[in-house]
Amino acid sequence: MSMGSCALRNGSTVTVTVHFQGDFMKLSRTIIAAAFIAATASLHAQSINDAQIASIVVTANQVDIDAGNLAEKMGSTADVKAFGKQMVTDHTGVNKSAVDLVTKLKVTPEDNATSMSLKDGGAKNVANLKTLKGKAFDKAYIDHEVAYHQQVLDAVDKVLIPNAKNEELKALLVKVRPAFVAHLDHAKHVQEMVSK
Amino acid sequence: MASGIRAGALLALAVCGLMGCGHPARPQPVTHTVTIDAVHFQPATITVRVGDTVVWVNKDPFPHTVTAASGNLSSPDIGASDSWRWTATSAGDLPYVCKYHPTMTGTVTVAP
Repeated sequence: MSMGSCALRNGSTVTVTVHFQGDFMKLSRTIIAAAFIAATASLHAQSINDAQIASIVVTANQVDIDAGNLAEKMGSTADVKAFGKQMVTDHTGVNKSAVDLVTKLKVTPEDNATSMSLKDGGAKNVANLKTLKGKAFDKAYIDHEVAYHQQVLDAVDKVLIPNAKNEELKALLVKVRPAFVAHLDHAKHVQEMVSK
Repeated sequence: MASGIRAGALLALAVCGLMGCGHPARPQPVTHTVTIDAVHFQPATITVRVGDTVVWVNKDPFPHTVTAASGNLSSPDIGASDSWRWTATSAGDLPYVCKYHPTMTGTVTVAP
């Protein structure tokens, strides 16, 4: 077991405990989750504005589109390929709605700790997936999708919806939330099939 | 005399047509709407009659389908802001899902 600390901008500290179980993917997921939680906790403490929320929404969708594109090409089963394709379709649709709305509201998405953390985590995930093939790819991809959708849902519930000031932006977040729940359920189902 | 009988018969037919003569007139086909919003069919259950039409309107920003395991209830992709119409041709219960989002379920009950 290893323990580390992550200092936040507001001066508080998040302690991350990692349990080594001889499973690299579990370690990787724990680190991704810890970074995401630390970043959103930081924003929560600082109060987040609509331009930052817009950036997080667009980035969160784009990260899953990138991973989905890869799964569509490199997945070894029809279920994994289909799930990847659906993530591309759905998150592209959500992003179009988000971009249409912020354009209408004349809001320019603003980079922040959470969106940068998402972007960085997404790039690392894609780089890791590109080194894998067959069942190892399927497992790593779908495990990450389960963890990722859970983290995005937590951020939607605890940070994005409570802090959104514009009513239309808040309504969009509320409207697309069930899609993330459906994706999480679907990802768990594919995860069970991949584990067999 | 014969023309009087014919006139009486025609009158009887006309009255029968107006009153129904014990055979209730079949209701006019109705169009029902199911909204697809926030990854849900609303309403999730609907009862229609043979001859009625159901229109599914997709208000989500990505495609859905209306896919039943049996019967002829099977849509192509219904894109964002698109709709799909289906007319009930036989009685029965038709549970359906969105093939892309299996958590989305609905049922059309078709009465004779």
